[in-house]
Amino acid sequence: MSRLARSLVRHIDPAVAIAFGCIAALLFLGSLYSTSFVSPAFLLQQLKVASFLGVIATGAMIVILLGQIDLSVPWVVAVGGMMSTAVASWWGPVGGIIAIPFGILCGVALGLVSGFGVAYLRIPSMIVTLAVNAVAQGLMVVHTGGFSPQDASSQAMRFLATGNSLLGIPNALLVWGVVGAAATFLLSRTTFGRAVYGIGNSERAVYLSGVKLQRVVLLAFALSGGLSAFGGVLLAGYASKAAQGMGDAYLLPSIAAVVLGGTSILGGRGNYLGTVAGVILITLLQSILSVMQIEESGRQIIYGVVIILMLLLYGREGLVH
Amino acid sequence: MAFFEMKGVFKHFGGVSALQNASLNVEAGRVHAILGENGAGKSTLIKIMAGVVMPDEGRMIMEGREVQFASPASANQAGIACIFQELSLLPDLSVADNIAISNPPKRFGLIDRRAQRRIAEEALARAGGQDIHPLTPVKDLPLSRRQIVEIAKALARSPRILILDEATSALAAADVDKIYTVLKRLRSEGLALLYISHRMQEIAELADECTVFRNGRNVATYKAGTKSDNEVVELMIGREYSHVFPPKPSVVPSERTPVLEARELSWTNRLKNISLKVNAGEVVGLGGLDGQGQRELLLALFGVLRGVSGEISIDGKHESVTSPHLAKSPGIGMALIPEDRKTEGLMLPMSVRHNLSFAALGRLSRLGVIDRASEDAAVDDVIHLLSIRTDGTNNPVGALSGGNQQKVLIAKWLMVTPRIILLNDPTRGIDVGTKQELYQLLRKLADSGAAILFYSTDYAELIGCCDRVLVLYDGAVKQELIGPDITEHALVSSALNITSKTEEAGAKLAIGA
Repeated sequence: MSRLARSLVRHIDPAVAIAFGCIAALLFLGSLYSTSFVSPAFLLQQLKVASFLGVIATGAMIVILLGQIDLSVPWVVAVGGMMSTAVASWWGPVGGIIAIPFGILCGVALGLVSGFGVAYLRIPSMIVTLAVNAVAQGLMVVHTGGFSPQDASSQAMRFLATGNSLLGIPNALLVWGVVGAAATFLLSRTTFGRAVYGIGNSERAVYLSGVKLQRVVLLAFALSGGLSAFGGVLLAGYASKAAQGMGDAYLLPSIAAVVLGGTSILGGRGNYLGTVAGVILITLLQSILSVMQIEESGRQIIYGVVIILMLLLYGREGLVH
Repeated sequence: MAFFEMKGVFKHFGGVSALQNASLNVEAGRVHAILGENGAGKSTLIKIMAGVVMPDEGRMIMEGREVQFASPASANQAGIACIFQELSLLPDLSVADNIAISNPPKRFGLIDRRAQRRIAEEALARAGGQDIHPLTPVKDLPLSRRQIVEIAKALARSPRILILDEATSALAAADVDKIYTVLKRLRSEGLALLYISHRMQEIAELADECTVFRNGRNVATYKAGTKSDNEVVELMIGREYSHVFPPKPSVVPSERTPVLEARELSWTNRLKNISLKVNAGEVVGLGGLDGQGQRELLLALFGVLRGVSGEISIDGKHESVTSPHLAKSPGIGMALIPEDRKTEGLMLPMSVRHNLSFAALGRLSRLGVIDRASEDAAVDDVIHLLSIRTDGTNNPVGALSGGNQQKVLIAKWLMVTPRIILLNDPTRGIDVGTKQELYQLLRKLADSGAAILFYSTDYAELIGCCDRVLVLYDGAVKQELIGPDITEHALVSSALNITSKTEEAGAKLAIGA
């Protein structure tokens, strides 16, 4: 028993522990303000909202583990939302079913473009993904004429994003659970995951070990694109339609969630549990600030300052070790 | 009284004690060698002297006054300059920028480039690198030249104690010679020199006093030349030191089809028509000065370089090896132990287990999913085979000592059971005990049928380990030495491309090396 406890303590990353500690502290502070912050209904609602960010941050994490970054999140999210709703309204009942995979595939395609640029053309990911973001934006302007599209999301999309199933657990949370379990398996149990961590630590060592490095990078960006677009599909289902700039609010939070969860921004280090903690932490912070009816400007300032403070906290912890 | 004195120094890192009641006396105008296996506490001692690490306990006395260094800058100010094992140069800056980086000459608040260049030229001249242009970017210099820039950088701070930590481990014999001249001159100028090296010859050549460290303690101090190499090694490892090199098989390899054959390999102007054969069971050495194409040759064989012309045959069959992935495939079965284990070989923050299985994951997984049971079994096997000392396979490999890291790197490649093993200077900067284990291992691998191509900057290794040695000069094979012909004299003279007519000159150089 004590051996199990000890091995558990050894396996928990201090950064993950800090993130969960901060979640508890936030909930405590919130409960001082209003007891409704700790009611099951509120917490489930928070987890449901967190699911969208969680799916997007999963993709961001894989790319960050490589030591790269995906800045195409905002418009790949929008592409996911807009293309799925478009298909849903074009093709009636058939479209309703293929809307979800179609939206995701559009994101995968954009991710493949980014990945090809990074892996084969050796362009820094910061540049390629920004360019892909711009291209995606342009394509969507062509598609919608620059206005928010009138297409409604399909039944299936709304079911995934807003429905509840067994024991009243939101479907979105179940979706995040499945995505998270798959990501955890991918990162810890497959050769792909091992290579991702390896590349983040030393690309040269991975290449000289005879691993097909370029394919791993390409696949990682494709996954990131697909997951961002999936986030967009869910968001479109949640709001019943897609909107211009629907992904704008997800770039900083997705990267912040990954880093707050203890994943090194330089790559090679981090685990999925940390990203879960980071996502919940960011979502709670955002909603507590808005419930407290602090003005938008003040909210932005507090939000940014808290992220900087937390990263400082991790920096200290890194120095000690 | 000693010029510089350390007394009763203790230092712990976590649960590990690096120094226990260590002391040291350094005299001006003398070369003081510090010997010891990796992990004996030498590096920690030096880091304390250089202000990089604070001791837990203990006193430092310089010229009769007690001193404390809270930072490298304060140690510098007191006149202690250090050249560490790892190079500290910034590759994209010029030589002059690097030399003056800690205290650049200023004019109106801006860097005075002309003065900086003058300082760099003076320092380079003192360090024996007059031929290095101060405006060359450091990344364009070969490793051995960088080492000289590193020394110049230390001298530019006009130190009174100069510490060299494995500063010559990257150098080939001819460059080492130059450094000796420089160091001897510095000694006569009254500098105190502290010298750490794993090469016994260097210590015999240079040192006035020697101190041996073992397990964080200074176990003996003696005048250089009063103890035999064997006695010194015994002091270092605390046990009998016998048979450094395993015996070579007396049988001459027959005229079988060579496992690895290269014909007319060329690459830009670095490799020129190199042909070679390596048979199963053979250890073939690559000799010559550093930077004569040995590294490129190994990379070309392993499929890393683009645009290599010529042919490579495996078991007599023509193969085109265009990537490390192909090179390690079962049909070819090649492994390359790269030169720089910290960036090219290992992923230091990752665990010992994940590093070990990294190259072999293909055979330890099904449809991309790792079979953890067979991974664990295979990892345990190689750890046992190479007796890698680790507290647990989940700890980061960066926490191991240098020698054990090197073992992990070699073990990682043994897990793919290669038939052809290419090694790029695998014993650089590792302790005597581990070196000896590696020599035994190489011979064992050869005996079990592997073909081994082995580049070393240490001539003693080439002589002790290899059945044949190919000496490279300017990207071409200049000479092939076989069996008893592999002597220090022959290696040095062919490395310098001196023909047998001028053997006397070669003999002089050999003594120098």
